[in-house]
Amino acid sequence: MAEEKKGRAVATSTAAKIPKFVRGNLSATLKAKEEGKKVAAAFIADGQDEIMRAMDIVPAWGESFSGVCAAKRDAEKYLQKAESDNFSRSLCTYATCNIGFDMMREELGGATPEGAPWGGMGRPDMMLGNGQLLCDPRFKWPQATQHYQQDVPVFVTNMYYPPWDPNADHHEQEAIYVKYATEELRETVKFCEKITGKKMDWDRLAATVELSDKTWDLFIDTYELRKHIPTPMDTGDAMNTMVPLTFNLGTQEAYDFYVDLNAELRQKIADGVGVANPERYRIIWAAGLPSWFALGDFQYFNGKGVVFPVEVTYRGCEKIERLDLPKTNDPLEHIAWRWVRYWTHWYDAAKKRPGSTPKVERIIEYIEDYKCDGAVFHSAFSCRSWHAGIMQQAATLKKVYKDIPILIMEGDIVDISSYNEADTHNRIDAFIETLAAYKKRQG
Amino acid sequence: MTDIRDGNGLAAAEKLYTQYGSRARELKASGKKVIGYLSALGPVEIMTAAGVLPIRLKGNVSEAISKGDAYMETIVCPFVRNVFDLAVKGKYDFLDGMVLPHQCDSIDRTNETWSYALKLPYWHFLNVPHVTDDPSIAFMKEILRIFIKTLEKFTGKAITDQAIADAVKAHNNNRKLMRELYDLRKSNLPLISGSEMMKVLVAAMSIPVEESSALIEAVTKEVKERKPAAANPKAKRIMLIGDQIDDVAVIEAIESTGAYLVMDDLSTGSKMYWQDVDATADPVQGIAERYLRKLKIPTTFVGSADTYQGILEERFGHMKKYVNEFKVDGAILFIYKYCDPYGFEVPAIKSYVEAAGAPVLYLEDEYSTSSLARVKTRIEAFLEMIA
Amino acid sequence: MDYFAGVDIGSTMTKVVIVSDRIEVSLIGPTGPEHRKLANRVMEEALNKACLTFENLTYIVATGYGRINVPFADRQITEITCHAKGLHSLLPSVKTVVDIGGQDSKGIKVVNGKVMNFVMNDKCAAGTGRFLEIIADSLGVPLEKIGEISLTAEKIAAVSSTCTVFAEQEIISRLASGEPIANLLAGIHDAVATRVCSLVKKLNVEADIAVTGGGAKNIGLVKALESKFGRALLVPPEPLITGALGAALMGKDIFAKYMAEGQKPTRSVNKLEEATFFE
Repeated sequence: MAEEKKGRAVATSTAAKIPKFVRGNLSATLKAKEEGKKVAAAFIADGQDEIMRAMDIVPAWGESFSGVCAAKRDAEKYLQKAESDNFSRSLCTYATCNIGFDMMREELGGATPEGAPWGGMGRPDMMLGNGQLLCDPRFKWPQATQHYQQDVPVFVTNMYYPPWDPNADHHEQEAIYVKYATEELRETVKFCEKITGKKMDWDRLAATVELSDKTWDLFIDTYELRKHIPTPMDTGDAMNTMVPLTFNLGTQEAYDFYVDLNAELRQKIADGVGVANPERYRIIWAAGLPSWFALGDFQYFNGKGVVFPVEVTYRGCEKIERLDLPKTNDPLEHIAWRWVRYWTHWYDAAKKRPGSTPKVERIIEYIEDYKCDGAVFHSAFSCRSWHAGIMQQAATLKKVYKDIPILIMEGDIVDISSYNEADTHNRIDAFIETLAAYKKRQG
Repeated sequence: MTDIRDGNGLAAAEKLYTQYGSRARELKASGKKVIGYLSALGPVEIMTAAGVLPIRLKGNVSEAISKGDAYMETIVCPFVRNVFDLAVKGKYDFLDGMVLPHQCDSIDRTNETWSYALKLPYWHFLNVPHVTDDPSIAFMKEILRIFIKTLEKFTGKAITDQAIADAVKAHNNNRKLMRELYDLRKSNLPLISGSEMMKVLVAAMSIPVEESSALIEAVTKEVKERKPAAANPKAKRIMLIGDQIDDVAVIEAIESTGAYLVMDDLSTGSKMYWQDVDATADPVQGIAERYLRKLKIPTTFVGSADTYQGILEERFGHMKKYVNEFKVDGAILFIYKYCDPYGFEVPAIKSYVEAAGAPVLYLEDEYSTSSLARVKTRIEAFLEMIA
Repeated sequence: MDYFAGVDIGSTMTKVVIVSDRIEVSLIGPTGPEHRKLANRVMEEALNKACLTFENLTYIVATGYGRINVPFADRQITEITCHAKGLHSLLPSVKTVVDIGGQDSKGIKVVNGKVMNFVMNDKCAAGTGRFLEIIADSLGVPLEKIGEISLTAEKIAAVSSTCTVFAEQEIISRLASGEPIANLLAGIHDAVATRVCSLVKKLNVEADIAVTGGGAKNIGLVKALESKFGRALLVPPEPLITGALGAALMGKDIFAKYMAEGQKPTRSVNKLEEATFFE
């Protein structure tokens, strides 16, 4: 989702390959029909990646397309189209942008609307949703889209993890959640088999899952290179380099991408090349999806010597061995364990620090590991799933960890109408002044 | 407690409505534990069986949010924010604990904001699934059993299956009585007005189930004795659709124009009362099925039919029934801003209910009377339009 | 002769129209904080102008957001119904009405003078006359001039913020960086037209389309709307009075209906007195 305009968009040359990935994913949905493949409208981090890849189902990532529309600052026409049929402007704008686009395409009898950013996205043969613990649009959006594409079947699965409760033993509950998620994934497979008319090749699925695990490990190993001072890559790039992990999990291309990125970061470290020179402050991007139309704000930070060596957002994986996954021969059960433990493996640490939460514990760990001086959160007004609760995280962080400078920026993921560049830059400047004051006080 | 005698059911409801939580406060003083919950997904049967008083939390549309915004984002559901604000301000200081059922992002994403700000002795997040297949029912039973265990630990008392079965019976009886009261709205003129009904609904969710049943019976008896006045043949019969509307402000805006509010599809109204819990060998089975499969709320995904029209019938068929049974002339779809679950259904609900014969006015608003004048103009224009 | 009066109390202007079998008089005055006194004054002036007395009026309908504050009205009807009625009497070919008032904007679908569907904007100021007023003020340009100035723009300076406060900031910083006022005004008109158009498109827009309300007096806005809707828009000769006219005509209809049913309505108030209020 790189921005095309303006001089340097990304610091690493590997990240510059990302637009090719994104375009490739979009065009795959348009070419699928002639290649005899089925297209599934799908969502990231829903545990369904490997199932789709193993069955040659082409994912149509609505979140990606809306992000592209936003980055090109060309989403308004789709937002308005959705609004014209009474979808409120306060709803998830990833969804309303996509629904607006889909509505236009239906009016054209399935043809791609003219002027669609990066060629648009193909009409799906099915929509895969997920009733998760973290995002209502993941099942409401496919349902809403079906109002305009009535022949396209929707399947919604459900994958939860034990809710955080300092007084409960999540270990006791994990098995219940894994069993449920495994059964739900099996229902997903059944549905995909029905739509594609093909049976799942379980060996292929197992191999795909293995490749994903390897990619998870390599991703973390690579990102940990950013601990170096000065950091060779920051969040501005990470909002791009997350693409293979997030949208192409279970493919060799995704793995290979991180091989290249790893090599480049090592080289930069060897050469002593950092994102900012000099590097004055190191900040964690502690939560929130970025304003895709304002990725340039990262460069604004960098220009002032502020770098983001680490971010919670889109770090959607963990070192597999750290998750301590029980052995299983069922790849679906493995995905389920990986999913549940991805969330719960911070619980024990949170229990040890009274008043803490797993989300905060994760932020603290990164602050320590990556030697951060402050935290930035981004609150996108149309997205409750990632952004409600941020104030609580920020307050808890200060309370249970230490008093560090925190900035909560406000914007949206897609809708530019509430964004104000001058105001944002003002806030950033004020935040940097705070960082300076804190550092001085520490001596 | 408020004395419910013949002829004062409505007065009792009015009092419980105006002084929301007053009965819970009394019971608390006498040693009963009080557990607050949000949304129609709160399994009241289990709380009743545990010997605690379940009270559905409501906000106050006339009260501006003053303290809550320091903890909770303004992008959260305005209803949730309002209740949270009241709770932070101590309005619900009689609570021993709370249950947050996993309904929507605005609830589950703020679970920690609630629990850390309120620090109640008992806290439980009930992880209700969004889908209804067999694995989900099995899972729902598991999480209900976990819920039961936490309540047992909190009260120090075992919750027997017999106690749950008895509570199921009591709540089913309560629902039946409320449906009978709803029946009195079918006549033209309805025997009970929309705003009276709202007060009864709100009062009923704040008191023990037996008292709630007695209240409903008293109200029913009282309004049945009313001398039917001549109905205004021109008055329009309106249905209100939405999630938690728990105040008479909007209803008064509708009824002050001369229209009758005769039916609702609200989470405080018919959604609470239309579906009983089946008496099953394992009582938890019936509870799981009722809350997951029978209750129609936008956060429970339904879509098993083969055709889109079939799916719409699964999701909204009950509203078509209401339109026919209650002779609805027009419907008002009242949705809170920032509500993804309802917001994404608006085009589908609107076209479905209109096809069922009732024009729909869609209103998106805050949970606040601050914009009531504007809302009123739209309602009046809508009624003039369908006149 | 029977005379019917319509009083439209909008957020910034109060309008009175008196009709018989023709429009006798129409009058516009500002709305003050004390609606009721002002309604009296504008009504009095209108009666004087038409050489009528209050007793000559057969039926009075009040409309607009201040409609409940007209003590001498016999009936209150919303501005949506009245706009449809009034506009239909002036421009019968119109099927979609776009009304841009001081505080809100709305779209109305009309068939035979009756409302088939309508939409109103949310409470945010973008897409209303108030938005233009604030911008005009911060640019130091008289409100009545901004439309014409916007038409002299070389290009439309895109204004991305629709939040009034942000848009104001955006405009000021763009002005400081040398963007000509005309271009900025074109951008602002474009932004308002975009908001209004996306609102009205919730209706199944059919031609002809008319613009009413204060916004219709702004040529820049009308042109911007025309480009958004992709067609020419009709503007009634006096776009401010359609609501009051519709109210008067509604009164006439109501009276006729009563007469047909054999009952003559009595006026609820028989003197144009300044009422005293205890609230």
